[in-house]
Formats: sequence, C-alpha cells, structure tokens
Amino acid sequence: MIRKLTLLATVLGLGLMVACALVSPAASFAPTHPQALDQGRPTCSECHGTDRVKSTDKTFESFNHTPTFVKNHKFQANQDAGTCAACHAQAFCADCHGGSVAMLPSTKLADRPDREMPHRGNYLTLHRIEGRIDPTGCYKCHGRANNDQCTACHK
Amino acid sequence: MRTRPKVLSAKALKRHGGGGFSMKHPIPLVLLGTLFTVAAPAADLNVTTTTIAQQWKQDTPGFDKANFLPATEFLGVDATGLGSQNLSLHLFGWGTRDLQDPSSVEGKGTGNLTYGYLQYNFDQANAAIRAGRFIITQGAGNEQLDGISARTDLRGGFNISAFTGAPVAYKNLSANPQAEIGNQQNMMFGTRLGLRLPRTGEIGVSYLQDGSNTSIEASATTPNYTRKQMGADLHLAPCTWFDVTGRTLWNLAQYVNLGVPSRVAEDDYSLNLKLSETVKVSGQFVERNLASYFAGSTLPNLFNASAAGVFKATGGSLTWTPGGPVQLVVDARRTARENYGDSTRCGADLRFTFSGGLLAGGGFHRVNAFRVVQVDPANQSYSLSHDEARVWAMWTKGAWVASLDAIRFMYADAAVNPDLNFKSSETEVVGGLGCQLSAGLKVSGDLTYETTPIYTKQVMGLLRVEYRFGLTGLGGK
Repeated sequence: MIRKLTLLATVLGLGLMVACALVSPAASFAPTHPQALDQGRPTCSECHGTDRVKSTDKTFESFNHTPTFVKNHKFQANQDAGTCAACHAQAFCADCHGGSVAMLPSTKLADRPDREMPHRGNYLTLHRIEGRIDPTGCYKCHGRANNDQCTACHK
Repeated sequence: MRTRPKVLSAKALKRHGGGGFSMKHPIPLVLLGTLFTVAAPAADLNVTTTTIAQQWKQDTPGFDKANFLPATEFLGVDATGLGSQNLSLHLFGWGTRDLQDPSSVEGKGTGNLTYGYLQYNFDQANAAIRAGRFIITQGAGNEQLDGISARTDLRGGFNISAFTGAPVAYKNLSANPQAEIGNQQNMMFGTRLGLRLPRTGEIGVSYLQDGSNTSIEASATTPNYTRKQMGADLHLAPCTWFDVTGRTLWNLAQYVNLGVPSRVAEDDYSLNLKLSETVKVSGQFVERNLASYFAGSTLPNLFNASAAGVFKATGGSLTWTPGGPVQLVVDARRTARENYGDSTRCGADLRFTFSGGLLAGGGFHRVNAFRVVQVDPANQSYSLSHDEARVWAMWTKGAWVASLDAIRFMYADAAVNPDLNFKSSETEVVGGLGCQLSAGLKVSGDLTYETTPIYTKQVMGLLRVEYRFGLTGLGGK
C-alpha cells in the first residue's frame, strides 16, 4: 500500500513539475481596460491603429465593434474571452446568453434601441416563420436551456 | 413573457433540471448569502441591481383575457481583491414574482442563479481557475455549468483550457419518461488546445462530451441524444484588412438504429475584408446537418436529432461608413433547408450618430421564403414571405434619455398561412423616457403598443430602476 502511494505521489509530483515547466512565463494580459471608453460601440483601432492585441496576436481591427462583429462575435468570445472581459462583465453577456432569462432581452433593454437585441417586435408570430426557415438559429439558445417557454406549446 | 401562461410546479421545475430555483427551495438563497459574506471584505466591490415592474393585459381570441403584473429583480455582484488581488467573486441572478396572476410562467415566483463563481487569475500565462456556476463558451461548448474550469498559456504559443461539472439544464424534455431515454448527461467535460500563430491568429481543436457513461443503444422510440463533439476552430487576422473566422464540429457519438447522414455537425465560416477606410465587406457560409448538430438537445421534440436534414446558408454584407453621422449596411442571405425549401433575405440598415446626443436608425428587409407544404387539398402550400421595416431614435440630453422604436412586419400569405389568423401585418411601437438621477441611479419607463396576428391589441407598461454601487467601468454600457 505504501509502495503504491509512494509511486502515485512520485508520478503526480513529476506530472506537476512537467506541467509547470510547460506553462508560459509571460506576464498575464491586463484584466481591465486602463481607460474608460466613450458611450457607444468602440472602434479599437482608432487608438491602437495597426497594433495587435498582446494576448491574442490578432489585430485590434478584429475587435472593432462593427455591425458585422456585433452580429457574429461568437468566434472572438470563444477564443478570446479574456479580451472581452477587459471591458465587459459577464452580466453583459448574460442579458442574452443567460441560459435562463427572466424576459426577452429586447424588453429588458427596450430603452436601448441602438443595441442589437434578438426578437424585437412581438416575436411570437415571427418565430413560426423563422423557425421553419432556420431551426438551427433557435437551437443555439433554446436547444439545451432557456426552453421552458418553448415547452408550453412544443410538448 | 407574452406567451400563453404555463404552470410548472417546483417539483416539475426540479424534474426539468431547469437551473432555476423555486423560492420554496432555500439552498440557493443560503448559497447567495454565503457568497455575499465572502464578498463583504472585497477591496473593490461592484453591485448592480435592476428592478423592473411590468403590467399588461393580454387579449387573445379564443382565450380568456389575462392580466399580468410581474416584478423582476436582477442582481449582479463583482468583487475583486478577496484577500488577494487575484481572487474575485462574480455573481448574477434574477428573481421574478407575479403580483397578480399566479399562473404566470413557472409559477407565482421563480428565479435563476445565472452564474456565481470564484475566480483566481494568475500573474503569468493568462492562467485562471474558476469554480462555481458559470457559463462556458469554449470550443464546442456553450453551457451553463456547476463545476470548475481552468486555462493557461503554454510555451511555444500553445494554450489549453478545460472544464467539467454538472450541466444546469440537462434533462431531456421528451414526453417519454427519463428512465426510458437514459441519456447520461449527469455531467459534462470539455477541453480545448489552441495554437497561436505569430502575427496571424489562432487555431484550435476541442472536445466536449455529455455524460460519464457510454451512450446507450438507441432505437426508433428511444433516440439517444448523447453528445461527443469534436471541434476545430480558427481566427486568422494576419493584417488589418483580412479577417477569417470559422469552425467545424464533428459528432463522434456512436448511435445504433439511428440514421446519421453525416458526422459533420457544422461548418460555419466568415470572411471579413476591409476594402478601404470606409468600405468593409463580409461573407458567410454555414452548413449544419441537423441529426449531428442537434445531438445533446434537451428539447428533442422541437430539435429532433432523428430527423435528417441539412441547412445551408450563404450570405454577405457591405458596410459603408463615409464619415460624418451616417453608416449604411446592405446585406443579403440565401438559405436552403433540405426538407422545406429555400429563402432569401435582403435589405439595408441605416444608422445616424448626430452630435448633441441623438442616435437614430432604420432598416427595411424583404424575405422571399419557400413554399411550406401543408395537408390541405384546397391549399397545399403557403408562403412565409414577409417584409420588415423598423425606425428608431434615442436622444440623450443631460440626465434625460428618450427613445422611440417602431417595427412593422407585413406578411404575404395571410389568407392561407394558418399561423396568421388572416392578419397581414403586425406592429409594435415602444416609447421610453428615463432620468439619470445620480451617477449610480437611473429610473426609466417604457410604454409599448402592439397589434399582432395572435393578440388583437396589447398595451404594456414597464418601470425600470437601475442602481450601481461602485463603478469600475465594466459591465457594458
């Protein structure tokens, strides 16, 4: 028994040493943006020009909040959540991606018509149309969570 | 909030594993109290609360009129410097209670702890560990999880991340008893290995699996939705004018007696080109095989993994920002769904940013949709084509903010489409007025008017009180 424990501790210790040796010695990226940003969608390259984000090696241009970025930001969020977190608390994401939400994002933030919010208008009618055209669009949010409303009718 | 009410008991809620907590269950409340106690000595504490009271009357043909008066409280806490500057607590949740109608969705009172976790950020390698309830968007996963996750940069440009825990929403909501379905989604784990390419971007591979056991044999009556998904993703931005993002997902689960036409669950790629300082174009290609893509669904009677079919979409947009207050986006998208048909959506959006605090915009889109087959000898198909028009404005003057948002849908085939109750349009107008009473306190109200094919008419009022304590600039404006 003692032999087995010794062997296990040795393997774990060696594994930990190897793991630590593999870790990058570079300093971590700043957890928050050092300056407050103006109201509205930020254009990162206005200040950072053609520089690259230190933690990702991508251009700041890639993170400009253009209309295309706002509608299709999943790849940046997937690979570079730390970059998002420099300016956004996770509660900002949870308005739409909360798993279970209290109300439509467009209702909660009805006083912000400038923001891209899903399901504007009374979506109850339109969902019967858009769901037939593209059910995979619904699945992203309602396929695994946030579907108690769905089951009221789709039993 | 506006669908036909559904009553879910606390027992039913628990059975659904919905992640929400009934007010009858004290454990999450005790947990919240504990987390607050932990946050109390924080060096930097940010608290945000939003209280929303709504009232509306619902008039649906064929149903009794219903009154709703729900009050909802959102609470967020971000506390850093818990003993160490690197340790932080993050918490966000909501609770709602209908003050008038006990049959409101999920009962008179309900709520949800969206996330609540402790995080430790290391000083090097962008390494971080988090434990508690969190939302994971990593590799192939986009999940609300009770568990632990970690990530770190490695030497040579590599980085690695991993997570494991119990998915908050995991129960299969099929009409069949859970025991018969037998999927083993009692836990979940995933990992991603990324490689940063110098001055280019990043590529990565990922793996996600639901369940600790191997999948059971599936049959026609007990389909198996267990997910074993592998992904490859990329984001390449070698120069400021070129940016490509994308991913491919494969479903590796072995199904028996369940036709899976393709192991490729998803191809999703976008290309962005900056043609000049004022013109940008983007293109997108998406292909999803429903049987593999819907694996892991908790709502299989709507997202049916046993229903074969392919969805494809190609689209593009052009963004023109000529300087000054105007921005124009022109977009077009063509979709094809194997079992239903094709559709095209095209249109444009304008956005104005005037000096003096006035933002305004508008857009028009036309959808030419396919012919939906229905079992009716007189009308064997109908169209889903429709137009969408929207105008909005938001004006900030000192402490005051006023907003107006109007949207109208015009349907092409109201006479035949059974979902439209013979009504060819619907309209919603929302007007809002708010006042920033102090740096941390804002009060606002909205008034909404709707006419829809489902409700004859709705007028809804909303009162919103937002309070922020501690302002570090995070949170999104």
